[in-house]
Amino acid sequence: MKKIINDPKNYVDEAMEGIVAAYGDRVAFFENDKRVLVRAGKKKEGKVGIVTGGGFGHLPLFLGYVGEGMLDACVVGNVFASPSYTKMEAGIRAADAGAGVLCLYGNYGGDKMNFRQAMEDCADLEDIRCEELLGTDDIASAPAEKMDTRRGVAGIVFAYKIAGAAADEMRSLDEVISVTKKALGNIRTMGVALTPCVVPEAGGPTFFIGEEEMEVGMGIHGEKGISTSKIMTADEITDMIIDKIGEELPLLAGSEISVMVNGLGATSLEEQMIVYRRIAQIMEEKGVTIVAPHIGEYATSMEMAGISISVFVLDEELKKLLLAPAATPFYTNISR
Amino acid sequence: MIDKESVREGFQRISKKIDENKERLIELDRQNGDGDLGISMSDGFHAACEFLEKTEEKRLTQLFSQAGNAFNEAAPSSLGTILSFFMKGIAKDLKGKESCSTKEMASAMQAGIQNVMEKAGSKAGEKTILDALVPAVHALESNEDAPWMAAAQAAAEGSEATRQMKAVWGRAAYYGEQSIGILDGGSYVGALIFQALSEGKGERANGKL
Repeated sequence: MKKIINDPKNYVDEAMEGIVAAYGDRVAFFENDKRVLVRAGKKKEGKVGIVTGGGFGHLPLFLGYVGEGMLDACVVGNVFASPSYTKMEAGIRAADAGAGVLCLYGNYGGDKMNFRQAMEDCADLEDIRCEELLGTDDIASAPAEKMDTRRGVAGIVFAYKIAGAAADEMRSLDEVISVTKKALGNIRTMGVALTPCVVPEAGGPTFFIGEEEMEVGMGIHGEKGISTSKIMTADEITDMIIDKIGEELPLLAGSEISVMVNGLGATSLEEQMIVYRRIAQIMEEKGVTIVAPHIGEYATSMEMAGISISVFVLDEELKKLLLAPAATPFYTNISR
Repeated sequence: MIDKESVREGFQRISKKIDENKERLIELDRQNGDGDLGISMSDGFHAACEFLEKTEEKRLTQLFSQAGNAFNEAAPSSLGTILSFFMKGIAKDLKGKESCSTKEMASAMQAGIQNVMEKAGSKAGEKTILDALVPAVHALESNEDAPWMAAAQAAAEGSEATRQMKAVWGRAAYYGEQSIGILDGGSYVGALIFQALSEGKGERANGKL
């Protein structure tokens, strides 16, 4: 498998060096640690800190959303592997500005156990109030009655936006948690994968997808989805995903939603636009208004081909926070 | 009594024992993992020993907590993380002490096991290191004479019993039924830890680590 890399061992650190070289005006390493990325400049005293973290290999997720209006710190692991809790402790310390810290991250075993140990230590030893909320937007990863075992995927970017905007408004930790919880309840995602990805140190794909096949609901590390099916057209894929999401979220006439069409790494923007066109048609038929469509690569799986669609049902408060300004290396929103 | 000096000695004995069994651990892990078990455990215990060698700290909570941190930094694999949770749980239970008895250490280790189960969501019987730690700590708590020897024996038996279990965690779980018959590498590490601690040259009877 071909990749443009140097030594696979340096894959993460070299990419991190590139990020800071490119966006050093907005982000920096915390205490020279290449695995803890923070906003550049001084912390705003009394602001709630928003921290995330997870394995590498999903850019722009997770670290691409560190910056004004979104995250304060992101802790970075190896490819598809949780960071150690000592790094997470550093991330929490970095984000703390006296008003407590919200750890907002995807529902994965390794991340969960490490974040929980880090939160416990920060509370015990540093007296930082830490709370957590988990992204569980992937509807293909478990049935609705087992919601708390679902994985977090691209939809968490919407949650970052809401939490970050609320924190930048200087809301209290409890207020930030409450509005972010509301947002998480209104976000659902589902995707299809067409080709596998390759972990650099492994050198070859760790799972396979047949030439004429696609994996419906596959996770961003190649976790098993709902089914393997023959490749469908863009409209068929879109209809299937919106139908599934519609079983869980009210897509009612007169309501407002935001939509994210996310490329998994090797799917062209043209294909994403074909998918978005179909979503726009469906929503128009339903009388649902789409606010601030997000189309592009938000959460990838290195060179995996495929897309995911996220739907975020809005109310006035969520809409206002979604449209608030943000300026991070991979997410810019100027006031509309 | 168990104090800083005996903790340091204990960790050194474990580290030596792990190094002596490095090849065996690599071999065990190759059966259904990626083979890095021997290396990460060796790195982890070396880092913990290095910390204990250098530190001026005497309080047991800080010693175990920071040894756990050093271990986690050097060995951020799943098993490495689990073992540092074990150390963190021990640390929390020994607050305010610069020394403790074997009984107190046994109950601190029980707290360590609790921390592992809580954070990782696992329990004994699932073909993990807990299958060695749980019986070992139980034996340590309930044996008045030679508790460390009893613990080592229980850990070894517990590890051996993982052959009959089906893996539910980590990469080994992909092998499902095929994992039956294979000794779990993590539990073997648990057995080595207690074996090393029991080899305190006749000191086991008075409860020194």
